[in-house]
Amino acid sequence: MCTNRTIVKIGGESGQGINTVGRMFTQSINRIGLSTFSSREYPSLIKGGVASYQVDVSNKEIFTSAKKQHILCCMSEKSLHRYLPDMLENGVVIYDGEELEFSPDEEIELQKKNIHIIYLNSEKIALESGGTKIMANAVLLGFIWKVLKQDPEILIEEVLEMLSDKKIDEEAEKQCLLAGYNNPQYRDDLSKALDLPKPLQTNRKLLITGNEAIALGSLAAGMRAFYGYPMTPATSILKFLGETAHETNIVFKQAENEITAALMVMGSMYMGTRAMTATSGGGFDLMIETVSCCGISETPFVVVLAQRIGAGTGVPTWTGTGDINAAVKGGHGDFPRCVISVSDAESNFVLIQKAFNIADKYQLPVIVLSEKQVAEAIYSIEKLPTTEKVERGLQQGENRYEITDSGISPRWVPQKDFKPYIHTSDEHTEDGQSTENAEEVKAMSKKRERKMESLKSELPEPQLYGSSSAKTIFVGYGSSKNALLDTIQERDDIAYLHYDYIFPLKTEKLMKLVEEGKRLILIENNQSGQFGKLITEETSYQFKEKLLKYDGRSFCFEDILDYLNN
Amino acid sequence: MALDIKDYNSPHQPTWCPGCGNFGIHMAMKKALMELNISPSETVITFDIGCNGNGADTVGTYVFKSLHGRSVAVAIGAHLANRKFTTIATIGDGGCFHEGLDHIVNAIKSNYDITILIHNNQNFALTTGQATVTTPQGKKMYGLPEGKPERDIDINAFLMSLKPTFFAKGYSGDLLQLTDIIKKAIKHRGCSIVEISQLCPSYNRECTPQWFNENIIKLDTLEKYSPRSIKDANNIVEEMTKTKKIYTGIIYIDDSVPTFYDRLASRKGVLTEASEEVKEYNINELLKYCN
Repeated sequence: MCTNRTIVKIGGESGQGINTVGRMFTQSINRIGLSTFSSREYPSLIKGGVASYQVDVSNKEIFTSAKKQHILCCMSEKSLHRYLPDMLENGVVIYDGEELEFSPDEEIELQKKNIHIIYLNSEKIALESGGTKIMANAVLLGFIWKVLKQDPEILIEEVLEMLSDKKIDEEAEKQCLLAGYNNPQYRDDLSKALDLPKPLQTNRKLLITGNEAIALGSLAAGMRAFYGYPMTPATSILKFLGETAHETNIVFKQAENEITAALMVMGSMYMGTRAMTATSGGGFDLMIETVSCCGISETPFVVVLAQRIGAGTGVPTWTGTGDINAAVKGGHGDFPRCVISVSDAESNFVLIQKAFNIADKYQLPVIVLSEKQVAEAIYSIEKLPTTEKVERGLQQGENRYEITDSGISPRWVPQKDFKPYIHTSDEHTEDGQSTENAEEVKAMSKKRERKMESLKSELPEPQLYGSSSAKTIFVGYGSSKNALLDTIQERDDIAYLHYDYIFPLKTEKLMKLVEEGKRLILIENNQSGQFGKLITEETSYQFKEKLLKYDGRSFCFEDILDYLNN
Repeated sequence: MALDIKDYNSPHQPTWCPGCGNFGIHMAMKKALMELNISPSETVITFDIGCNGNGADTVGTYVFKSLHGRSVAVAIGAHLANRKFTTIATIGDGGCFHEGLDHIVNAIKSNYDITILIHNNQNFALTTGQATVTTPQGKKMYGLPEGKPERDIDINAFLMSLKPTFFAKGYSGDLLQLTDIIKKAIKHRGCSIVEISQLCPSYNRECTPQWFNENIIKLDTLEKYSPRSIKDANNIVEEMTKTKKIYTGIIYIDDSVPTFYDRLASRKGVLTEASEEVKEYNINELLKYCN
């Protein structure tokens, strides 16, 4: 299947340096002028277990990891047995260690697929080449580079540049890369089935994770305060913003807990700055009282909810989109909100900026849904899109909660000599006074409801990818897009309707497809098809076909093809 | 133009019971702001839910009436966004020591430059008189006809154990002293805790004005007391634990601890406030930090 794609997987235990090899390989491949998509799988522990770093290489833009690999380079025995069944025919396995015993089943598989196995004692080779133990990684990298028949000078240059601030012995690092590259175990037949696609361009690409893109987007939008609390897979947003704070000068605080983080965002937003927090499902549950308070008090609020799979602690380092209900329906009382779902580096960057504009203009909480797969995948892109204009909708007025046709009341940044006003979690009158009067309660609730109508009319309809003449159309959001885009590149008989804005929900375009009699397939990375139910609630349309995956793994194009073929 | 106490009022009347201690606390708070020449539009006050929270409507400053137990964290967020404002968090003993206990602990630890007024009426009054941690053990309360079964928390010892940089105790019935305390609390650079014994004629009937008069000792009547001495402070807290008397005035003050913001390396040399900085930001220089 995977045309124009070469797949390299590095396996091992957490803490063995898989990420270093993976990153170096990704960077070097990009230097040649090829595109990559890299993703990491890792267990929720610090040392041990089975982890991997997969790099898919192509000469066109790709958005997901394939299920199987051409080259598997393993630093632990466990990881070798785990990933061996996913070898493609004529592939190469590089094992960092002594010769291994395989089970009879594995032997048959190896024979049938004609898999080559190379044993490379990389640590010994590194030491013999004048390097240190840690430079064993360079030996492995050098060997992979040779199998892919690439110029060693590019590899050396890129690796040394990456390590330039690490104070290492550059000559030793170079010798270790070359020792791997020139290792006598290399034979020409290893490379036979492994032609890398031809580079189409030579522009230097930007390698960026989803979380880095969302952090950069928040800064671009003028976010000046970040309050966080660690929770996978949102933590690297906190890390990026904390580690760049000396340059951006933002107010940065690792809060005591998610409740505090959310309240601090609310307090800072009330005072007129742009603030944000980021968390995963469990942390979001703790924040929901504040989200509800922002709803009634009409305080702008932005939270990134980076999802993982499962209730409770679930499967903490794996992906899913099971928090649609929590985002759309969480919290007590009826209150306006906006829920946005990001799907790749560019959308992370753009949609978080939109989130701030919506939060400010409509004075409501905005929940930006991400997923482990989107948050931590490493995208190779040309460049980030242009920065959005900051739109705040600020204006002074007589009453903070003035009842208007659009539902949007005047709001101004608190400052000296401006008219002071109250934000309140009590139901209130136009001037913010608490009220229990039936008419007043109803009027203010209706006013807030009208904001949702105004917002909905501003939001775009979902986007259709692929040919509009396709009879089969998948409907989804988030990382499903990436699997579909990769599939559509191979098959023009399917299309994909992608939602960036989950709530309020736009349904006109979808309903048109229903009327046209298209075969519509709901695709979601959760167990119950939460988004599908939301669509049913809004339109009473029920999906006849659903492709749901809830094992912690994201969709890959093989899943889509398997579904269509069965 | 000179400020008037009425400038701090909203057009709305309080809804508290006659004789409620909140009248005195609010009067002292407004008087303190006026005497410090801090105008209503330079002040942000966050409110808890409960009887003290019902005062939110009556104040003419910037106000955020938030959630039960959460006013301190909201105040911290407001303060970090704009330090040109005087930030005051008001909270009841229930909200402070039950629902939002972690907020006061961390506010003291981080030493944000805000003032926290704890309205201590020794019960959850707005829900008609349930026990809080400050309700004496054994006292019959709503839902507890046999009396509150657990011990109460010695909040003086608890607060002092956190090494606050400003800790004072006041009484809702002593307007002049309370005003003076709140003024000092606002002026203190760091997290100022003012715990205020509050009359509650509806649900804490034992503690009448007369009872308070008999049980309160003002620190400034003591011959030798220095609020800058940790030894004096700890001794007086121990004394309160032993005798159950209430000492009012500044218990402890330490000016030597930097505030959270002063320690924030990313804000060193920045002359603006976060609330003044919202605009498009060029991220090109940050791309080097990616992956």
